[in-house]
Amino acid sequence: MIRRRALLAALPALGGATACAPRRLAPGEVALWFSYGGKNREVLLDLVRRFNASQRRYRVIPTYQGDYFEALAKVRTALAAGLAPGLTHVVGEVLPYLAEAGVLEPLDAYEGARELGFVRAIAQEGSYQPGAAPRPLWGIPFNRSTPILYLNGALLGGRPVPATWEEQRELARALTSKSGTSLRWGYEVPISWWFWVALVGQAGGEVVAGSGEATLGGEAGEKALRYWQRLVHEDRSMRPPPGRDYNAWQVTNQDFLAGRAAFIWTSTAFLRYLEENAKFPVIAAPLPQEARAAVPTGGTLFVMMRQAPAAEKEAGWAFLRWMSEPEQAMEWATRTGYLPVTEGAVARLETSGFYRDHPNDRVAYEQLRAAQPWPWAPTLFRVQRQVVEPRLEAAVLRNEDAGRVLAQARIEARSEP
Amino acid sequence: MLGPTAAVLLTFFVAPVGAALYQSLFSWDLLTPPRLVGLANYEVLARSGELLAVTLTTLRYSAMVVVGAVGLGLGLALLLARPGRFFAAARAAIFSAYVVSWVSVALLWMWLLDPDSGLVAGLLRWLGAPRMGFLTDPDSALATLAAVTVWKITGYAMILFVVGLQDIPPALREAAALDGAGPLARFWYLTLPMLRPTLAFVATTSLIISFQAFDVVRVMTQGGPVKATTLFVYAIYEQVFLDLRVGRASALTVIFLLVLVLLSALQLWAFRGHGGRR
Repeated sequence: MIRRRALLAALPALGGATACAPRRLAPGEVALWFSYGGKNREVLLDLVRRFNASQRRYRVIPTYQGDYFEALAKVRTALAAGLAPGLTHVVGEVLPYLAEAGVLEPLDAYEGARELGFVRAIAQEGSYQPGAAPRPLWGIPFNRSTPILYLNGALLGGRPVPATWEEQRELARALTSKSGTSLRWGYEVPISWWFWVALVGQAGGEVVAGSGEATLGGEAGEKALRYWQRLVHEDRSMRPPPGRDYNAWQVTNQDFLAGRAAFIWTSTAFLRYLEENAKFPVIAAPLPQEARAAVPTGGTLFVMMRQAPAAEKEAGWAFLRWMSEPEQAMEWATRTGYLPVTEGAVARLETSGFYRDHPNDRVAYEQLRAAQPWPWAPTLFRVQRQVVEPRLEAAVLRNEDAGRVLAQARIEARSEP
Repeated sequence: MLGPTAAVLLTFFVAPVGAALYQSLFSWDLLTPPRLVGLANYEVLARSGELLAVTLTTLRYSAMVVVGAVGLGLGLALLLARPGRFFAAARAAIFSAYVVSWVSVALLWMWLLDPDSGLVAGLLRWLGAPRMGFLTDPDSALATLAAVTVWKITGYAMILFVVGLQDIPPALREAAALDGAGPLARFWYLTLPMLRPTLAFVATTSLIISFQAFDVVRVMTQGGPVKATTLFVYAIYEQVFLDLRVGRASALTVIFLLVLVLLSALQLWAFRGHGGRR
């Protein structure tokens, strides 16, 4: 192990070249590795600058590390080399994996850790199914989100916002048009785990049963897949965007902004970006329901690395507490579209009239009533990335039998890791 | 005198290969302690069909790239290896694609090939052709990537062929013409044999470029759709950086190396076997 670590420390190229090269931190400094581009990156860096300017004792050094999974790869490499940053943020599906691997710092003992007043559904406590015993506090909510429905108000006209799968299908058909050389799709959504999990929940299923078995929703999982297949192949009203992972998400946003897709499903994280860049009124709405209303939570939680020096952890905690204050939680939410993470911030958004003036911002928060907690499963992200996602793509693009595809996926999920 | 060379080889080739070979015997995610699993990583790759799929995809891509780059490069060289400003400008224009970065080329072609808003798609629609998902259709994505690669490297192949053509003494062509050989016969019996070393060099470099392809996959398709463009290097990247499996990535690396050694040996054999110049 020591030799491996020496090798990794000597070969930073393994983990993203110079991005992972260690920077000598001064006392009171903490490294923060983050994963945003564009608007959200700008807002985070503004907040970090404000924190650094607000006091002289601590200083946060932010470094961009690519998308969530690229950043995770770099964090793992840095951990193995003993050079992990004090702070980073990870997606919900990955938190159990890191916690069970023993690389995260439990946050319970830090001053005020249990009194920050987080919105339960997006805090660690509400984001995961409960275990036999209470878990240590491994992560605190940062950029939490849900998928929501974005509609092009100009194209929608007087039509009602779809509240069910069938209404959504009808609307997609109605808004799909081909005139001359221009083509407009009714509906667009990345063929991705997160959105499929939403459909599975709406169809009445859950991807992992209470026993821990990856059932992938059973019949609800198949129903969800068939719904997409019908829209893509029968109705030809839904565009599965090209590219994988977050590339497909970007394409979806661009198609919506360019008027090539009348409505899309994507994260509430893009609310401000889409509103500011659309040349038409953007209408946000909850996802339509089938058997029930259901939505997964998404985004990331801040985590602290156990191997970081104590002084860095102290600075890291000061920053996390500062970020959790209503002022910062509000700023983050209102400038990006992510959910406000504390009840205090929500209350101030209500009383200040922000939600009244910006009804789109309220959609994701209200949708939390239908939020489905994730299982606390260390292998969940492997099931997501290796078992489900490639099959979703194959099933939708090649119109393969949904039942057979998911049956194979269940067999493979059982053999993970 | 051999010391420095041996040290460099040992540090940058033998040691990494040895490390990959060693790591391939473990199950390791860089976080939890590594677990010795013997040849299980190789077995899983073979049993799941991933190894065969990746190998065949890479070979298909390489075949398209090598044939395309050699064929097009030679054709263009025959057409443009002439004196004059126009031909020089044409050669420079075609070669310019080679010096542009892979990422820029990939982004440019993504825009051109977008099935709804791309220039090529628009042109095809204007001509009455059905909507083409060049990068979204699993049946066409690999050929599209190969075509983009050929577009980028053909200029390089062309320049090498131009140099090769200029290396052929004009007196030989004149003699062949005096003996009554037509253009086709001159090409087949004179030009092509004289170009064999260049051909071998272009084929080998195209093969290496195609086997090293990563940027174009990462930017244009991320291995999809439906893994249709998951080439060897991208599969290794996926295993280690996205799926967090160091052991399987190392096993793929070892196999990748063996495939390359085999192909290089075959190429060398073919080159020597046909008495090429060295």
